[in-house]
Amino acid sequence: MLTSLEPLINGILLGGLYAVIGIGLSMIFGIMKQVNLAHGELMILSSYFSLLFSQLLGLPPLLTLILVFPASFIFGYLLQAFLFNRVLGKGMEPYLMISFGLSIILQNALLLIFTPDARSLKTGLIIQTLDVYGLLHVPVIYLVDFAGGVLMIGFLHLFMKRTYLGRAIRASADDLSASKLMGINIRKIYALAMGIAAVTAAMSGVLVGMTFTFYPHSGTQYLIIAFGVVIIGGMGSLPGTFLGGLILGISQLVGAQFLGPGFQLLSGYLILLIVLTIRPQGLLGRK
Amino acid sequence: MASNWIRLIIIVLFLIVLTTLPLWASRYAVSVLLLIYLYMTVASMWNLLAGYSGLISLGQQMFIGIGGYTLAVVSMYYGIPIFLGVLLGGVLSVILAILISQPVFRMKGVYFAIGTWIIAEALGISFSNWGYVRYGMGLFIQPAYKLSMSSIYYAAMILGVGSIALVYLLLRSNLGLALMAIRDDDVASEAMGVNIFRCKLTCFLISAFVTGLAAGVLYLNTIFIQPFEAFGIGWTVKLLFIVIIGGLGTVEGPILGAVIFVLLQQFLSEYIGFNLIILGTITILTIFFAPKGIIGTFHEKISVELFPIRRQ
Repeated sequence: MLTSLEPLINGILLGGLYAVIGIGLSMIFGIMKQVNLAHGELMILSSYFSLLFSQLLGLPPLLTLILVFPASFIFGYLLQAFLFNRVLGKGMEPYLMISFGLSIILQNALLLIFTPDARSLKTGLIIQTLDVYGLLHVPVIYLVDFAGGVLMIGFLHLFMKRTYLGRAIRASADDLSASKLMGINIRKIYALAMGIAAVTAAMSGVLVGMTFTFYPHSGTQYLIIAFGVVIIGGMGSLPGTFLGGLILGISQLVGAQFLGPGFQLLSGYLILLIVLTIRPQGLLGRK
Repeated sequence: MASNWIRLIIIVLFLIVLTTLPLWASRYAVSVLLLIYLYMTVASMWNLLAGYSGLISLGQQMFIGIGGYTLAVVSMYYGIPIFLGVLLGGVLSVILAILISQPVFRMKGVYFAIGTWIIAEALGISFSNWGYVRYGMGLFIQPAYKLSMSSIYYAAMILGVGSIALVYLLLRSNLGLALMAIRDDDVASEAMGVNIFRCKLTCFLISAFVTGLAAGVLYLNTIFIQPFEAFGIGWTVKLLFIVIIGGLGTVEGPILGAVIFVLLQQFLSEYIGFNLIILGTITILTIFFAPKGIIGTFHEKISVELFPIRRQ
């Protein structure tokens, strides 16, 4: 009886992971009104960073976050400072295309360095399942994903609300000219915001690497998931992103349950296309 | 007047050289030129959307997949003549475009880009789960073995030259005038009675049809079709490169871009891992230093256009 609830519960847990995949994309859109098509590659890059650190230093994947976070932050900061800031204020297309070019470059650079083999971040958690009175089986790794996702989003929320930098970022998102007049250095703020977005990507990259296998080309797949989350929930809305993650996670796993595993991605896409058609700004997005 | 004659003579001479090419050039040269035509066709259709209609589609590969699969299925399973199969591919692409036009035209800007991309991805997954087209294993288009290289060459040439002529004539027509008015000021043009939805839809359907046709000829050349390749985002990467390098919103841009792309691909084919890295880097540098592409920058410096779309 309760086993029929498994896809639902696992979908919710997976949704927490999806939310953190989408949060960086949503943030950049909310702040700069731009879409970073290289977000998936930032994620997978962090998965490889973590792989490298855990192999070199023998750390478990979650501990490598101590090193992966700063590395990703610096990478994101430099990307915005040297690439994206050059096309600020020139509309949507140049940003879209530069990030697209960047994603191709990163993808193929990873392919050259790490070969096309499937990799995963080895952890003992992957084989454990939580047994709820013999009625329900929940993989422990999904619980870790959910907890990681919720923690990341919670920290981001507090950061945006409480710190000076967070307020400056929100100010520049709300009114660009007014925040410039108040002495906020927009270019620096944008670079820092991209660094933070890269940190959220790093979190999701490491969680994904622990849960699934990844390849140099996996970025595209996760970019689409990030889009799904952000579009269902609404671009630039933090609670919306969380809701979007849950809906996408549930629709994928429930869809896979009823239609077969080949349709897991497809059922997610269908929900996404329905939302795009009926409510393009997302469930909790503003027009 | 005189410059019009010179222009016409140049174009006619060029066409004579291209038509007689299979008679005197090497097989390799013919195969390279064939690819140039096809990429030129698909790229100028993307350019019609992105450069003139403000519709940045990341999902043109859906028409490539549909065109290719239609050809494969009707020519193999039903024994329909090959070039009729190519035509059917175009027709089915238009039908797909009509079906999705209602939802995708509700999406604006970046949502349109993402929406079209996701439709293409969803189609790719559906085809890879569909036993009728042998799942993800793909199909060999066996009837295409019988075709000679030169017949594929001429089909590709008709498409390449035809698509450029089509874009040129479209832009010189009332539709082109309306598109430029929309690009300059959409509110004002709508107030003057331009039906924005209809103009954009017309471009979308035309580009679907021609892209579907080009896909058929493309797969006559490759012979093997597989869902994740046919519906893959890789096609959009190539189109973007071709149009950005050549010049977005110029008729000649996709021609020059396709020549550069195909030649680069030939030269870089030995460095398999590096070629996309180099393409990506060139694209980014072009956006930084020549945002209008080679042709656009050229037009700014010297006002000579091979295909002037403005009325004098």
